[in-house]
Amino acid sequence: MRKWSFVVALSLALIGCGGGDIEPGTLNVYAASSLTEAFGELEAAFESTHPEVDVAVTFAGSQVLRLQIAQGAPADVFASANVEHMQALVDSGLVEESVVFAHNDLVIIVPPDNPAGIEEIGDLAHAERLVLGTANVPVGDYAREVLRRAAPSHEEGFEAIVMSRVVSEESNVRLARSKVELGEADASIVYRTDAGSTDRVRVVEIPRELNLIADYPIGIVEATGMRAAAEAWIKLVGSPEGRAVLERHDFIVPTPPE
Amino acid sequence: MRFAGRPLLFLAAAPVLGLLVLPLVGLLVASSPADLAAGIGSPLFAPALWLSARTTAASLAVVVLAGTPLAWWLAVGSGRTTRVVEAVVDLPIVVPPAVVGIALLETFGRSGLLGPGLVRFGIQIPFTTLAVVLAQVVVSAPFYVQAAAAAFRRVDADLLIVARTLGQSQRGAFLRVAVPIALPGLIGGAALAWARALGEFGATLLFAGNLPGTTQTMPLAIYMALESDVRVAVALSLVLAAVSIFLLLALRLAPSAVARLQTRSARS
Repeated sequence: MRKWSFVVALSLALIGCGGGDIEPGTLNVYAASSLTEAFGELEAAFESTHPEVDVAVTFAGSQVLRLQIAQGAPADVFASANVEHMQALVDSGLVEESVVFAHNDLVIIVPPDNPAGIEEIGDLAHAERLVLGTANVPVGDYAREVLRRAAPSHEEGFEAIVMSRVVSEESNVRLARSKVELGEADASIVYRTDAGSTDRVRVVEIPRELNLIADYPIGIVEATGMRAAAEAWIKLVGSPEGRAVLERHDFIVPTPPE
Repeated sequence: MRFAGRPLLFLAAAPVLGLLVLPLVGLLVASSPADLAAGIGSPLFAPALWLSARTTAASLAVVVLAGTPLAWWLAVGSGRTTRVVEAVVDLPIVVPPAVVGIALLETFGRSGLLGPGLVRFGIQIPFTTLAVVLAQVVVSAPFYVQAAAAAFRRVDADLLIVARTLGQSQRGAFLRVAVPIALPGLIGGAALAWARALGEFGATLLFAGNLPGTTQTMPLAIYMALESDVRVAVALSLVLAAVSIFLLLALRLAPSAVARLQTRSARS
């Protein structure tokens, strides 16, 4: 108990100072599905140091959140799983400048009993039922890029063969993962962080030279009425505490600019 | 009976009436002809429309073929079993479609109740067009069975007895007397079931997945289009709304039209 209050006091000192006057109310954070666990933890941390603020995090595919913000959803902070969706909102003046706060890479996941016997990326061509994200959700876009990169080093038409085994295109990474968790899909390509936050899938690594690094930008929504709280949130995400949480959930955290 | 003569009544009804009509007006206003053309020209449009047409035709056929005997059985029965079965038939109406989807997955999925047995015969249902049809059958069947049972209940039992005394078999009495009399009700129920199947979304998304041309029906295409091109979503919505309104009109007009046809053919 004493230890806990020490942690709180420390984080209060770290985040609270210079935070300015934070308006009491609800801070709406719109975040990519892959951030579910990490931001869930940070939500609890934020609320314990800022009891006057209720953080409400909405998780969905980044493309869905982008659309909702473009349609005037009451978001204060947006965290996207790719730069494209963030940039679109920045370009249209809906989100102020953004910073990249985390990176992620991709892995193949299979059910624990691995019914299709997938041991490496080339085996995807032998799968019966694959599930990927749609071409619009960042994870689906990245997965297609990985397949494109893998094509030259595999059999003729590898990419097309693999795509022909896709039985469903899901609108966010968690829906794709759930199909593998349920054992309904032989494999999917998801972020490392999504594979790490469940014990119901097995990870098959994608060779480093074929893999790619996803950038996660975060920014404040122009129309926010909770600017100070939004700034405090972004500060928390970039703080040693926030970075530790992200790292614990397998994100790669950029080195802070000195 | 006129609303106009009862201003208070109209005032009380206006909020709900407005809420029912305004979204459709909004949909119409939101889309210019150019948007509509762009939507119809989108690669999502034709496969989704064709898939919706095929799957709803198949599910409607299953619902009518299997639902009619069930409805008749419910209509003539009166015991406790009948009431229990009636409640079971209503279940998909009260259970959220997402729950129906998960339940279907836990039944026909690989690790589901029947899945492993089916896999042994090389049959895999989830993520196929068959899964789309199954989901539609489950969610739409109650609407037809209920309407059909109600229509059969209105058939005068004496008429059937007369038919039997005139030498009709039980089946003959059913097909030549009960069905024609109940036909307007059957058509109404079928139209409702079709509309429900056409709009089916939640169970399909979970049980059948989302793949253009195979499992991506119109409602799923609208949902996916929203993520990339709102214009396509609006255009798809307009077409689906138009089809539904047409169905509704048919539903309102069919019973009297059928009745008129029947009296004409009875006279000739």
